[in-house]
Amino acid sequence: MKTDTLIDMLARNAGPAPRALAARRLSPAALAGLVVSALAAVAWFGAIPAPMFATAVPWTKMAYAGAMALAAGWLTAQLARPAAPLRRPQRATAAVVVAMAVVGGASLLAEPAGGRLPALLGHSWSSCPWSVLALSLPGLAAALWAVRGLAPTRPRAAGFAAGLMAGSVGAFGYSLSCPEASSAFVALWYTLGIALTGAVGALLGPRVLRW
Amino acid sequence: MPVDARHGEFESALKPLWLRAQSGDDAAYRQCLGWLATRLRGYLKRRLSGLPDEVEDLVQETLLALHLQRGTYDPALPVSAWALAIARHKLVDLWRRRGRRDHLHDAIDDVDEQLLAAEPDDGGARRDLDVLFDALPPAQQQAIRLTKLEGLSVAEAAARTGASESAIKVQVHRGLKRLAALVRAADGRLDAPRQGLDG
Repeated sequence: MKTDTLIDMLARNAGPAPRALAARRLSPAALAGLVVSALAAVAWFGAIPAPMFATAVPWTKMAYAGAMALAAGWLTAQLARPAAPLRRPQRATAAVVVAMAVVGGASLLAEPAGGRLPALLGHSWSSCPWSVLALSLPGLAAALWAVRGLAPTRPRAAGFAAGLMAGSVGAFGYSLSCPEASSAFVALWYTLGIALTGAVGALLGPRVLRW
Repeated sequence: MPVDARHGEFESALKPLWLRAQSGDDAAYRQCLGWLATRLRGYLKRRLSGLPDEVEDLVQETLLALHLQRGTYDPALPVSAWALAIARHKLVDLWRRRGRRDHLHDAIDDVDEQLLAAEPDDGGARRDLDVLFDALPPAQQQAIRLTKLEGLSVAEAAARTGASESAIKVQVHRGLKRLAALVRAADGRLDAPRQGLDG
């Protein structure tokens, strides 16, 4: 086939280009990840007692995870589009992590010296990042599938960003089951769980994001 | 992104036309693809001096990718930067496949000079899309044949086949997507493609 013939064929009846394609593919993936992680968290670990929702504790976690999901989702959308600039979503993602670190650090300083390490480690520091990772995997699969249908020209970075988004969504679900009260705990161990999911995404990216 | 002296001029001519194409002007779209094809041919020729026969194949592969991914274009970006980023991605993909294959096959030094001779620039490709087209599922072939080759409107094609208009559009899109996957799998060889990877 001649190239001109191909061009004729592509242009004929092409119609308008789909709009907001990245958002339309990524949002359902994030939403599906959220529903699955929330259901799995409650089914596996059980929900935290209802009175806890009267405190700021679960809302801090959800605010962090939600903000992180939005920022990382923005970054993922940019990495799924050729030549799109990355600086602003990168800064937004970093700003969310730093903000949580500042809140967590301040809460540690407010603790008496002997209470700081227990606050930071809680009862579940060794399982929290892994729980977040496990709850994030369905969302990660959905996010990678969504990105695969777009045009990621940097597959490792796109996989990492998709992993951060999925990890944040998984952390959101986990916050329904997580009994820890310290925001320092959230700043460290939630972030680690999200980063682990990002690392898995970065490993998978070059393999699955080919097009 | 390489920006040469004419980049600005080319971009300022292309962009308004491209925006019309994006909102559904098929004639503007054809014109844009033609201009981009010329641009891409130059870009790829400079970078494929050792594999001149691959140039037109890669131009076609890139055009297919541009078409399938036109929804990822952001009006804030230069069209040529977006298109060249896709071309570079396809080029890197080709290098990677070649690199792997060249270990298995003859080194480039052993290839007869005749085999490396560039064809005159007639817009033809070694890999024949028509052959790959025959490997598509019948429903996709039919939808593409009616709307893209015979030039029926989507509504006419829907009436002819009894499928809904949206079903026709979906079959066309899936068919082109599958064609792009077949192109990758065939990788410039004229024999039958290994298999289509569904994307």
